[in-house]
Amino acid sequence: MADKGNDPVAIWQTMIGEMEKGFNSFANQAMTSPEFSKVVNQVGGATAGAQKQLGELMEKYLVSMNLPSRAQMVGMAERIQSIEGQLNEIKAMLHQMQRASGNISNDHTSAPRPPRTKRPPAPGGEPK
Amino acid sequence: MNAPTGLDLASIPERIQTEVRRAIQRSIKGVEYFGSSGPALGLTPKDVLHARGTMNLYHYRPMVDEIYRVPILIVMATTNRGYILDLVPGQSFIEFLLKRGYDVYMLDWTAPKPEEKSLRMEDYVLDFIPDCIRRVQQDSGETDVTVIGYCFGGVLSLLYGSIFPDGPMKNLICFTTPIDFREMKLFSNFSDRRYFDVDRLVDSVGNVPPEMILSSFEMLRPASRAASQVQLWENIWNDEYVKAYRMMDRWGTDTLPLAGEYFRAITKDLMWDNKLFNDTMSVGGRPADISKIKVPILHAVAEHDHIVPYDAAKHLITKVGSSDKEEVMLKGGHVSLVAGANAIKRLWPKLDSWLGGRSI
Repeated sequence: MADKGNDPVAIWQTMIGEMEKGFNSFANQAMTSPEFSKVVNQVGGATAGAQKQLGELMEKYLVSMNLPSRAQMVGMAERIQSIEGQLNEIKAMLHQMQRASGNISNDHTSAPRPPRTKRPPAPGGEPK
Repeated sequence: MNAPTGLDLASIPERIQTEVRRAIQRSIKGVEYFGSSGPALGLTPKDVLHARGTMNLYHYRPMVDEIYRVPILIVMATTNRGYILDLVPGQSFIEFLLKRGYDVYMLDWTAPKPEEKSLRMEDYVLDFIPDCIRRVQQDSGETDVTVIGYCFGGVLSLLYGSIFPDGPMKNLICFTTPIDFREMKLFSNFSDRRYFDVDRLVDSVGNVPPEMILSSFEMLRPASRAASQVQLWENIWNDEYVKAYRMMDRWGTDTLPLAGEYFRAITKDLMWDNKLFNDTMSVGGRPADISKIKVPILHAVAEHDHIVPYDAAKHLITKVGSSDKEEVMLKGGHVSLVAGANAIKRLWPKLDSWLGGRSI
């Protein structure tokens, strides 16, 4: 094969890599300036303000269209989440009771756990 | 044989043939790429032990017949999903730990909902982590727990360990964990208190949107996304390359929003006042001085970490109060330290050799 110094593909790849490094380094230097921070934060602040206003406008629009508002959807999601949480708690309690009664099924959550007796391998030895 | 600097003319036809073949493959695979999804990630069998809002506690099912006594709780960074540590079989840190005989739990995060914008630092440090530790203790039947924190998960683990120095944390492992936020120079400049009005931002948006978090990460290396896409096109004939690219790209862009109050505290206490480094940090009124941490600690840092530069992480080991402490610097970047081919041969075996003897 041609050595890497003359391989056009390798030259292209090296060039891309170098361009990437060079641009990143240049941009990083520019981004450490206070001016950059000022501009970025001015733009970011304006965007955040616009986003808030848009959100409020959408909320009003949904109400006028007789569609559920975000707050109502969030409320429903909260209720579902709370029901899911309670189901999980009940499931965990049932598993605990099942374990306590010694009635072990094939279910993985109630399957016997491996013993906690593992020791690290001796230096230079194979893992146990 | 090639002349050291000359062009081997005999190899040209073969090279042209290879390039033509790759060009054809690129066209075919390029169409396939856009018509298919990436590999399924995070599939190591697990049970959701507990879920509460943004917090999820998983228990991974053991894969061997005998396990170490001390279970592990992995605390994931709040900006990213935990499946970076559980990519695909053979490239999963979780699977590696399970096969080496560890009992693994993970505290992973989902996007905080709008109503969770009021979650504060104390909710994470004084509620979520202790709650998970308690549940790990109950589930495993063990009092001791090893905590592994990745990136900001490491910061949360440090805060937890400094507030609860008497246990039950038995060992602490941090991956790429910053403590001197002044040295995260670009983030520090982005959040310059003269220009960055964090109160206005949080009051406007509630939770900080993931696009903003992602942009701030991508701005650290603004040319890298374009360059990686060029590299993808060049290598699109190579299935392994494409698979690895898709896994990392999916994870990298799957950024989580941050709860507003939590973000406010990070900005003011850590980015502006550098309280963790200055030993003035407190959470919920409780002093969080990391010199109080006395448990064995391992800190793994990456040589080419552009997110948490070494200068931001290097004081962790000197500042903790542990006598059994070690910092290890490995080749790689912020993500390749913990996932991918680099991690498989460097970090994972190192962690296993350090932790095995401390898990009995």
